[in-house]
Amino acid sequence: MAGRDPGMSAPDRQRAVPEAVPGTVRVGPSVFVRLKLRLVAGNLRGSVQHLLGFVFTVIAAIVFAALGFFAMTTLRLAPAEVAGDVVTVLFTVFLVGWAVVPLLAFGLDDTLDPSRLALFPLRTGLLATGMFAASITGVWPIATLVVMIGAVAGLAGGAGGAILGTVAVLLHFALCVVLSRLVTTALSGVLRTRRGRDVLAVSVIFVVLGAQLPNLLLNGGLSADPGAMLRGVASVLRWTPSGMAAHAVADGGAAALLAIVVLAALVAGVGWLWIAALRRALVSPDASTQSSSVRNSRGLLAGVLPDGPLAAVVGKELRYARRDPRGRVGWFAAVAVAGIMAFSLNGEGGPTGVALAVAPACIGAALISMQWCNAFGIDGRSLWMNAVAYGTDRDWRTDIAGRHLAVATIGVPLLLVLSLVAALLAGSAEGIVWAVPATLTAWGVLGVGLGVGALTSVLMPYTVPERLNAFTGAAPGQGGIAFVASFGALIGTGLLALPIVLPVLLGLTWVSALAVPYGLLLSAGGRRVAGKAAFARYPALLQATSRAA
Amino acid sequence: MPDAIEAVRTQGLFKRFGQQVAVGGVDLVVPSGSFAGLVGPNGAGKTTTLSMVTGLLRPDGGSIHIGGVDVWRDQVAVKSRIGVLPEGLRLFERLSGRELLSYNGQLRGIPRAEVEQRADGLLKVMGLTEAADKLVVDYSTGMRKKIGLAAALLHNPGVLFLDEPFEGVDPVSANTLVEVLRRYTDSGSTVVFSSHVMELVERLCDWVSVMDGGRIVAQGPLDEVRAGRSLNEAFLGLVGARGDGASGQEGLSWLGATPA
Repeated sequence: MAGRDPGMSAPDRQRAVPEAVPGTVRVGPSVFVRLKLRLVAGNLRGSVQHLLGFVFTVIAAIVFAALGFFAMTTLRLAPAEVAGDVVTVLFTVFLVGWAVVPLLAFGLDDTLDPSRLALFPLRTGLLATGMFAASITGVWPIATLVVMIGAVAGLAGGAGGAILGTVAVLLHFALCVVLSRLVTTALSGVLRTRRGRDVLAVSVIFVVLGAQLPNLLLNGGLSADPGAMLRGVASVLRWTPSGMAAHAVADGGAAALLAIVVLAALVAGVGWLWIAALRRALVSPDASTQSSSVRNSRGLLAGVLPDGPLAAVVGKELRYARRDPRGRVGWFAAVAVAGIMAFSLNGEGGPTGVALAVAPACIGAALISMQWCNAFGIDGRSLWMNAVAYGTDRDWRTDIAGRHLAVATIGVPLLLVLSLVAALLAGSAEGIVWAVPATLTAWGVLGVGLGVGALTSVLMPYTVPERLNAFTGAAPGQGGIAFVASFGALIGTGLLALPIVLPVLLGLTWVSALAVPYGLLLSAGGRRVAGKAAFARYPALLQATSRAA
Repeated sequence: MPDAIEAVRTQGLFKRFGQQVAVGGVDLVVPSGSFAGLVGPNGAGKTTTLSMVTGLLRPDGGSIHIGGVDVWRDQVAVKSRIGVLPEGLRLFERLSGRELLSYNGQLRGIPRAEVEQRADGLLKVMGLTEAADKLVVDYSTGMRKKIGLAAALLHNPGVLFLDEPFEGVDPVSANTLVEVLRRYTDSGSTVVFSSHVMELVERLCDWVSVMDGGRIVAQGPLDEVRAGRSLNEAFLGLVGARGDGASGQEGLSWLGATPA
């Protein structure tokens, strides 16, 4: 594993272990900083993709720091109270971000995982300082610090205020770091288990959606006055550590001194908790091998279907939708996005009439089918099990049909519900009858999407990484093909669905009666072509979906 | 009638990845009913050869016959007759062991009742009955090899291909694997497995093919290949022992207990 290489060359190790004191070791935090830098450098070696990604990250961080700093200094132009409120909210966002983001990215940074350092003869206190030093080494921590310092420039009054403010900001920054360390260390045991990682993987989606919440609230016009909203939020946050830090910067004087004392005590307290958690994490057992059994159910559908490959694939796909975090995230995301669309289309200036019900349902159908534009990706490295059993193009067609049937089992009722919700949201009393064309059209779009997706699955397959990542859905080096596949599937689905969607959107609701047969026809056609293509090129399919990710 | 007594025969099998020739003209022969070992150092082309023979990787040249049938011409006939356990333990992680077996059986069109009966028997022999309803993702290496072998055996294939089946397996599990495989070959079926553990190959196999640098450098009955030496000595002689043992030690003068 390339990322696991500690990247320390022999001379480094000799420097880190002075020969005079056998057993115990005296190392400064600088060793950890160097380790972190080596890890970063080692990750970049030999990979243009990683290098480009890193350069992009650095540029993004610099832009973020510069813009943030500038924006903070311009707060001087705003009324003092508003400026204080803005900084309060912003500091809180930083604090929460520091606590949550490393959790979601656990495993990206080896210096975050205490178990990797457990075998070195280091005292806990020393380990803590070292890990603290390592965690502030990086472009994002420095960018955060720069933006927070910007608050001093924007808020503080006078030289004395600036000094107190700087101390408060540094303490707040330290609190961010120590808190993030406490959270990851306390949960590192859980994070190393499969179940813990599964739960986290699914929770990514909630964080992403949660980030959309303020946006939705603002758009939804729930609060007519953003200023009042800001004031309300800031007043709630006034006595949180971030609020105190912000007010220490803004107010100065004795109150600032008091806030600084409280912040320092908090940093010390959280730090102490962290060291305690670290001490425990270093010696607690790895629980990853303890696991519970799964329910051995056959499922309703598998009982109905005749014995054979079709039933086998349907059963497996339905189990994966439930048990694989990637499956769950995909379904959650599709439903959530369609729901958000249904809400926001109702705003002013949007479409009216039957389109209000049809559009969200069709978008939901397209989003669900989009997940299967790389149908073999989740099987990935285990797809060989199917390949050693399939000897004809008909076998492959049956396999794809099984996947489609499984999607339909979940998707068809889901689209019905979605159409009903969209029709209800569309308002008026007669709105509920719009659910009928909406449902039928959505089912048709699902069929079209699955047919197109069958083709892209076979012609443009790529590996889906085991670990979910918010930034890419493909293995290194396959980002391009993943983009082309999903974009191609989206455009293909959109174009082929036009003949059934457009008339319905324009009010010719009777066309929706043709949507389901049309969708069935296109999905069957897609399966037929894809089955032939899959049989012809399955070794390439296996290779493309089995990349190391 | 050479076909009837040969389980596997490849001729001039060739595969390159970019500039690198991974397999350069392999003529592998395995007699029917033998317990055959494919040995070679890392990078010799064992995995690539087995992938092509089992129809998972398309060769750039050469032919492969299993039981006299061309692998890439008549896939239905060949695939129903072989069982495969590739390297790297790639299994459906989110199925339980029992579900994995029943999935495999159903894919191959075996009636469900029959699949369940066979799966129960295999789980019992492999010592996996207790773990049968746990997800494969939570299995240990030994358990994964055992469930993989069970899945490969479920449709009672005539020829079984195993890539490094004993790597990372504890002695108890390895013993189970060996017992199952012995019983299987005693009935006249063929096993081909790759390994770089010479002692194991020497103990189990009656037929050995030695690979090095993408070619077969020796092949035949075990006693013929080792010619009076241990297989390890014969192997090192064939592939050429690399690296001079004495000169490589100089940099390690500090290693070991220091004299008082």
